[in-house]
Amino acid sequence: MRSGAYSSSATTVGYQLSGMDLTGLPSELVATAQAAETAGVDYLVLPDRTAARPDGASPPTALIAAAFLAARTDEIGIVVTAATAYHEPYSLARQVASLDHIGAGRVGWFADSTTDAASDANHRREGHDPARNAAARAQEFVPLVRDLWDSWEDGAFVHEKDTGRFVDPARIHAVDHVGAVLAVRGPLNVIRPPQGQPVVFARAADTPVADHADVLVSGVPQADHAFAVVPFVARDEAVARELHAAAGSPAGDADNAVIVGTPEQVAAQLRHPHVLVRFTTRGQLAAFTELVLPLLDRSAPSGPTLRARFGLPAAPNRFAPTQDKELTGNAR
Amino acid sequence: MPADRELHLGLMFWATGTHQAGWRHPDACADAAYDIELILEVSRTAERAKLDFVFLGDRLACDPSLQHSNPAQISRLEPFAAAAAIAAATTHIGVVVTANPTYSDPYGVARNLASLDHISSGRAAWNLVTGADAAAALNYSRDQHWDTQKRYDWAEETLLIARALWDAGDEPINHRSEYFSIDGPLDLPRPPQGHIVLLNAGTSDQARELGARYADMVFAGPQPTLAKRKEYYADIKSRAAKYGREHHVTVVPGLTPIVAPTTEEAVALHDQLNSLILLDPEVEVSELVRAGGIGEGFKRNLTSASAAFGVELRGNDLDAVVPAETLARVSDDGRRRLAEITRLTRRTADGPDRITYADLVHATPQQLSHVVVGNPEEIADEIQLWFEDGMADGFNIYPAYVPGSVTAFTELVVPELQRRGLFRKDYRGRMLRDHLGLEVPGMR
Repeated sequence: MRSGAYSSSATTVGYQLSGMDLTGLPSELVATAQAAETAGVDYLVLPDRTAARPDGASPPTALIAAAFLAARTDEIGIVVTAATAYHEPYSLARQVASLDHIGAGRVGWFADSTTDAASDANHRREGHDPARNAAARAQEFVPLVRDLWDSWEDGAFVHEKDTGRFVDPARIHAVDHVGAVLAVRGPLNVIRPPQGQPVVFARAADTPVADHADVLVSGVPQADHAFAVVPFVARDEAVARELHAAAGSPAGDADNAVIVGTPEQVAAQLRHPHVLVRFTTRGQLAAFTELVLPLLDRSAPSGPTLRARFGLPAAPNRFAPTQDKELTGNAR
Repeated sequence: MPADRELHLGLMFWATGTHQAGWRHPDACADAAYDIELILEVSRTAERAKLDFVFLGDRLACDPSLQHSNPAQISRLEPFAAAAAIAAATTHIGVVVTANPTYSDPYGVARNLASLDHISSGRAAWNLVTGADAAAALNYSRDQHWDTQKRYDWAEETLLIARALWDAGDEPINHRSEYFSIDGPLDLPRPPQGHIVLLNAGTSDQARELGARYADMVFAGPQPTLAKRKEYYADIKSRAAKYGREHHVTVVPGLTPIVAPTTEEAVALHDQLNSLILLDPEVEVSELVRAGGIGEGFKRNLTSASAAFGVELRGNDLDAVVPAETLARVSDDGRRRLAEITRLTRRTADGPDRITYADLVHATPQQLSHVVVGNPEEIADEIQLWFEDGMADGFNIYPAYVPGSVTAFTELVVPELQRRGLFRKDYRGRMLRDHLGLEVPGMR
């Protein structure tokens, strides 16, 4: 998290989804999301896979899944994963902005600067080799997307029937980005999102994008990070250990902690303001939702937007003529 | 033609309405572009009327200076996001997404389309465009817009890569060419429709050929004469015949119906909409973003009208009747325009209802699609004529304003078409291919 970005009262629990029976079919996806919403989960992180993997999970793209879920849910936050190497900034900015409109301010973007050989091999075309300049591209990418989100000032979409003024061109701005890797003139062809700036997530270890994120995620509990965990939980501790062993006894790392135990044992390790729980099976998700979630000490969100759930203040617009300087030190 | 030939109808969703002042109509939703509930409700209205599809257009640039001439093209929801939301709110109607290969990568387009087809249970369609906006290049880290041939070569190859990826299952495709190096496979099963339904528009030679060879539906801008409409239809069918596809390609021209229970009410609505257009001697035509199919010569004022009709019109009151002797002196092209005014407004040079200067102004720019003004029977007559006389297999319906023009069409015209046995009373299947009478193609 950016220093000082959160209000102290904010507490959040997010679910990061992957795996066949959570995301593979539209009906499973909707059931997962609606159950999480009912249980009071703050947001979902949806996978976006740029190459085939052997697990057979086959999720729809994060964009398609997110818009579908936004129309089928009312409150839960929806965060799309998107890798900077395999997307164009103008397209990604308008997709996330559009999702934020469809979801009425519930949307975020989990930025990822990493590349892998299989994904690179699916995305080579004239003028773009994702294996080249990946870090430099990622460094430019997130601030550029943020600029594009601000390219329309609030209220620039006038649509005033009496006068026939549809937009106010003086409040719509080109971004004129010319960097080492990317060049984007703008303005965006979507009006400013309801949140102004949708919430940007990144792994704390993902250096090229972490500097520009609102929410940093790591497997080591830190006061101003979202704590990412993979839980193996059962009422009986021995059963929890069996679940962990059956999954190949995964160990924690910088990105994820692995927590094994009874609901009380797991909850005790999640006394942290912001928790992102990663699931690959319906069983894990159902067990956590039923057994652990009620044990966590959580406060009601301070508003309907994803920013509000994180206690992030309203985002000022960098192109607006007058800005409240008190706000600009906080989240972008 | 097959004996069981059936009319096809789609809804072209322009949030502003396709009339350039449609958003100013008192009943219009002026901010429909971002009113997701309205977008979903309009889609459900189209579905209740058993329409084949909802169509979402796109542009990859933003030019605020188009706000009077072409407000719909300034901004909108990204089409894949809007389409997935529409799919979530509907069960049968097809959803057409415009995607431009020039500024996207084949793998990304293929998986978004496949994802949409999966999540909608087989209702996705792809309107393949190559982009008319030079400004888009500047938003995609390029310094120039490619020429037409390169755009079409790139687009055709993108299409073939996407189809190969949809067909590939777990196997890599290892596509290598001058433009692309793409291994695959997709991280998705084959889409329910096998190949996503393909639409293509345009009148250029490249567009016609691509449409005839690959597309399931084609459409084009308005053709000024009956003969040109028939030529376009016959040309598409004969080009398609080269590939054994003449019964496979559905020709769906754009049609703007201005409909009301009576002819008089429809003419009044047409007049009301035109009266809301701001006449500006400096009406902007952007240099960067083409005026969205409307083309050049877009000015609406008496100066432009004088040039279009070949007579001096400047200095007159717009609401005043034009003297018959002035109308008698117009150019040949002007006479064609006068006939068009009479067709739309029922006003003539010397009848009880007389042509006004405003009529001449509004007849000057080229229209976005063929406009027909009348009661439900008159609209249905026009549709039936085109359908039965070798000009169309169906129509992409352009609502002048939303939501009113959508409900007017579905409530007044669709029942009349159904009564005549021209249009379905219910869907036969759940996939867009079922609506179009197309089989799921086999694996290659």
